[in-house]
Amino acid sequence: MRREPSLPKGFESLEPLVEKWALHTQNERQHQRINSSRGELRYYYDNVLPRLPEILNCVDTYELGQLPPPAARLFALALSLAEIAPHIELYGGNPKVPHSFDESRLIAEHGAVAN
Amino acid sequence: MNAPERFLRWADKFPELGTDPIPVEPCISPEFFDREKQDVFMKTWLVVGREDEIPNVGDYKVKKIHFARTSVILMRGKDGVVRGHHNTCSHRGNKVIVETGEETFGRSKAAVVTCRFHGWVYDASGKLLSVPEEERFAPCFDKGTSGLAPVHVDVWEGFLFVNLASEPQQSLKDFLGDMDAHLGGYPYGRMSQCFSYSTMLNCNWKIALDAFSEAYHVSTIHAGSFPNVFSSGLADVVLLGDHRSTGICLTLNAEPTPVAKIAHALSGASVVSQRKSSMLPPNINPGARDDFSFELSVVFPNILIHISEGIWFTHQFWPVAHNKTLWEGKYYLQPAKRNSERWAIEFAQVLQRNAWLEDTATMEDTHAALESGAKTHMVLQDEEILLRHGYKVLERYMEKQGQGK
Repeated sequence: MRREPSLPKGFESLEPLVEKWALHTQNERQHQRINSSRGELRYYYDNVLPRLPEILNCVDTYELGQLPPPAARLFALALSLAEIAPHIELYGGNPKVPHSFDESRLIAEHGAVAN
Repeated sequence: MNAPERFLRWADKFPELGTDPIPVEPCISPEFFDREKQDVFMKTWLVVGREDEIPNVGDYKVKKIHFARTSVILMRGKDGVVRGHHNTCSHRGNKVIVETGEETFGRSKAAVVTCRFHGWVYDASGKLLSVPEEERFAPCFDKGTSGLAPVHVDVWEGFLFVNLASEPQQSLKDFLGDMDAHLGGYPYGRMSQCFSYSTMLNCNWKIALDAFSEAYHVSTIHAGSFPNVFSSGLADVVLLGDHRSTGICLTLNAEPTPVAKIAHALSGASVVSQRKSSMLPPNINPGARDDFSFELSVVFPNILIHISEGIWFTHQFWPVAHNKTLWEGKYYLQPAKRNSERWAIEFAQVLQRNAWLEDTATMEDTHAALESGAKTHMVLQDEEILLRHGYKVLERYMEKQGQGK
């Protein structure tokens, strides 16, 4: 059965990433990144980075915090790039922050707040 | 072989601080910790929050203060003033407000708090308003003198300070001294979006504070998150009584990574992006250096306040035991106006979090290694001058308080 597209028109190619990466809180995105493989991070990065300017243009056609569900999903998907980009660009693909404190012990007060 | 040529610009500027190795005993001794609590933390002004965390009449914040084995209720009264009281009921001592963590927030429309044990009601000034079955208490019970135990509170630039002494030795203004002119006037409130972190670290509070008080570690510890950022040294170090401050200069001319480049173009939310200067107080970066990144100021004893263009952040270190410290890191930014800017803020803030994860990685190891007793002293280089001043002030405090006993 073919599913209804969940992202705004034009972003169909990103649909395979939605389930794993269109997450609405920083804690969820961080947790997903820590528990992903190097390959999954690379796949996300290689597919999202080229579309980033279009994504940011799309979400900016709406007022801050006034995104309808498809654009909100696209925005949440793009926010995962904040978690993933340092790992591809700086940490050699490692899903963990190298030489770091235990991430699960650092409590983010804002971590469970939806964007 | 010849000895290396020495560059000791800060030792030359502040000869009173000396250049000797620093004893490690203050970082590992339980006895020293007990004296430190009494002679320093029970007597100085301590930041416990921001006024805008409790903006409305009746808003309150309860803050645990482990070393004093208390928690303090900070409540905004009907007169708009924030006052502080121990969270201890005058009846049989129960906590008036049940806490849910290190910090507990709440609101009472009537600006009163009610102990859930037997329903005693207090107003924001600590006055006992109502006692159920009051007529059953003996005449020696005086409602008028049975308010909550007060804690001194004062405000500077929107920061709420408490002083746990029954009579503070100094006003907050006198305590801050020249730090007022140095950091005052910065528009703290404009950066109203706060990203806040905390963790309990198994180390002495000074080990944690020291790790954040120098830039010598940037090229090693932050080789992961900020690989192309190198410290170009401290600038304009000033010693301001018990407090100290320096500019942190970073070379930022390296090509940013692809995603960082997009984020920097949308927002100045990263301390490693080049930003203009419009809001810094006149004493900050007096030489107008273009590699200036942020001002690092240590307000004695336990908070670092960093100000920068459009960004400020704090690290605070609450002593819990000689080998236990509650760390709180807060990153303040101007709220985004557009969704794309919100995205760029997320990128900058997450990378900053990763850098803090790199910072906090060393502290427990340092403490554990010092407890071995293998080293009795630490050696500091010239660019670690703020640490040296910190130990000097601490020593002075404890000597002074010791004499006053």
